[in-house]
Amino acid sequence: MPKVLIVDDDKDLLVGQKAFLEKRGYQVETASSAGEGLKRLESFTPDLILADLMMEHYDTGFVFCKKVKDDPRMAAVPIIMQTSAPKELGFTLEAYNERARKWMKVDEILTKPVPLEDLVGKIEQHLAR
Amino acid sequence: MEESVESVRVIVIDDEEGMREGMRRALQRQGYGVDTAEDGESALRLLRENSYSLALVDLKMPGIDGFEVTRFINENLQGTVVVIVSALATVEAAVEVTRHGAFDFLAKPFTPKDLLHVVERALRQHSLLSDRQQYLTELNSERNLSRQLINSMHEGVIVLNRNRLPVLMNPTAEAFVGKAYREGMSVEELGLRPEVLAAVQEVLDGGKARTLREPLGQRMMELLSLPYLRGEEKVGAILILNDITLQWQADQEKSRFIAMVAHELKSPLAAILNYVNIILTGMFDQEPAKIHEMLARSKIRGEALLDLIRDLLYLNQREAGKIEKSPERLELKEVLAAQLDFFKVQAERSRIRLQLEAAGDSFPVLADRKDLDRIFMNLISNGIKYNREDGSLTVRLASSNGSVRVQVSDTGIGMKAEEMEGLFQDFYRVKNPQTSGIPGTGLGLATVKRVTAECQGDIRVDSVPDRGTTFTVTLPRA
Repeated sequence: MPKVLIVDDDKDLLVGQKAFLEKRGYQVETASSAGEGLKRLESFTPDLILADLMMEHYDTGFVFCKKVKDDPRMAAVPIIMQTSAPKELGFTLEAYNERARKWMKVDEILTKPVPLEDLVGKIEQHLAR
Repeated sequence: MEESVESVRVIVIDDEEGMREGMRRALQRQGYGVDTAEDGESALRLLRENSYSLALVDLKMPGIDGFEVTRFINENLQGTVVVIVSALATVEAAVEVTRHGAFDFLAKPFTPKDLLHVVERALRQHSLLSDRQQYLTELNSERNLSRQLINSMHEGVIVLNRNRLPVLMNPTAEAFVGKAYREGMSVEELGLRPEVLAAVQEVLDGGKARTLREPLGQRMMELLSLPYLRGEEKVGAILILNDITLQWQADQEKSRFIAMVAHELKSPLAAILNYVNIILTGMFDQEPAKIHEMLARSKIRGEALLDLIRDLLYLNQREAGKIEKSPERLELKEVLAAQLDFFKVQAERSRIRLQLEAAGDSFPVLADRKDLDRIFMNLISNGIKYNREDGSLTVRLASSNGSVRVQVSDTGIGMKAEEMEGLFQDFYRVKNPQTSGIPGTGLGLATVKRVTAECQGDIRVDSVPDRGTTFTVTLPRA
């Protein structure tokens, strides 16, 4: 049973995605902040992480991802970022820039709302790597 | 510029009296004003005291001779034309005197006709000279004017020569680069961005004028690089600097606001669509309670989204000055009682006790009723939302030195000091596990602060985590 950690400050998104992914056969843990997510990772090693971008701050998701990937134990765990921040406005432009993505070490960025089948498709794709 | 004969004054300088008087008569007959001097000394005195169009100077005089007088005139009196009158009628002598600055040479002996001919020619020269003088004066003042204009410009101007060395900077440019102009300074000292230097080089290399937007120190500049032309020849580059910091900041602020709005609108929609899509997969068809829960949450998020859109439209109208205000004398105690009554049902649902404590009977304020609702309904609503079950919300009224103070205190989750930073900013929401399920637009307190300020009031906040939060609003007493 693949294990997934979802970090999002939107409680409804956590509840919904957890319910959906569990039905699809995943073991799901959730955290509603970056700090809570890091704490959860101390005792739980997921096969994949779904992370929000704008939480306490507009770039909390990036900081969270960097912390996770800098941990050798977690370095290979794929991270899919989901965000409602509009890239058209340049607000998270850095996330769409190749050079910055290397620093951020995010494996995928999806724009919310993410259709459920796309979400599962991307998760499977990254788990297969 | 033609001069009438009457205004023309001529000085005849000759030590031979016959010659002197002969010339005077011939010239006076023509209507010229004539003075005479019998030697160099008296000539210089007269020249200092009066203004002459023409000096007829005898070369050979005892004491100060004609050469010296000529030199004096050339050095000091640019409006006076010199004609040498001498018996030394050789070509060499003629060349020599013109080298000393004389215009012409009249050889003795001469007829009155010869004299008048030379005088007329000399006066034509005088007239040309004064035109040129006039032109130079005007040119000079025009240069002064240009310089004054450049120096008083709101834009910075930097002129660079062909070798990219600054040759002129107006005071605005000096202020922008934070350095005074100094001859021989290099362009690198100006702290311009490489992109700007490249644009300058491009112009120097024959490229076109370009406009670019680059930071300079703490400012944002719009820079225009132009070729500096003298006639057809390119002799350097001109850089015009326009400070667009304020406009740029406003643009940035607006972009940020729109991005935030888009984010805040998309978040609840994403949550709702997520629930709806999950329900539509049919995976929970056998668990109606789960479906009901998802729909109930979707409803809450949808309503919050609607609130956000209302708040945004309200803010927009307010900023566009489209909100009509009708201030009236209102009894704040009654207003607050009515507001608390409005929230009774909602508070009972969370078993929160609402109380109004007033230290006095009357708390009159001059305000628009809608403004008061916007301020206190927001604060009361927050006090219920962020409270704990079985908690309480207390509104306290007091007055002191011409003002009315309202405190809205809850017994809720409270805030840490760092969470309170930015509390009154647009879209700011305290985000922690305790607040994650509570709907809010992030615009409530920002709006409260704006409206309070418009009512000449003030708001502040005190909070203790897990104990509660108190908002204190002070308004002028009517």
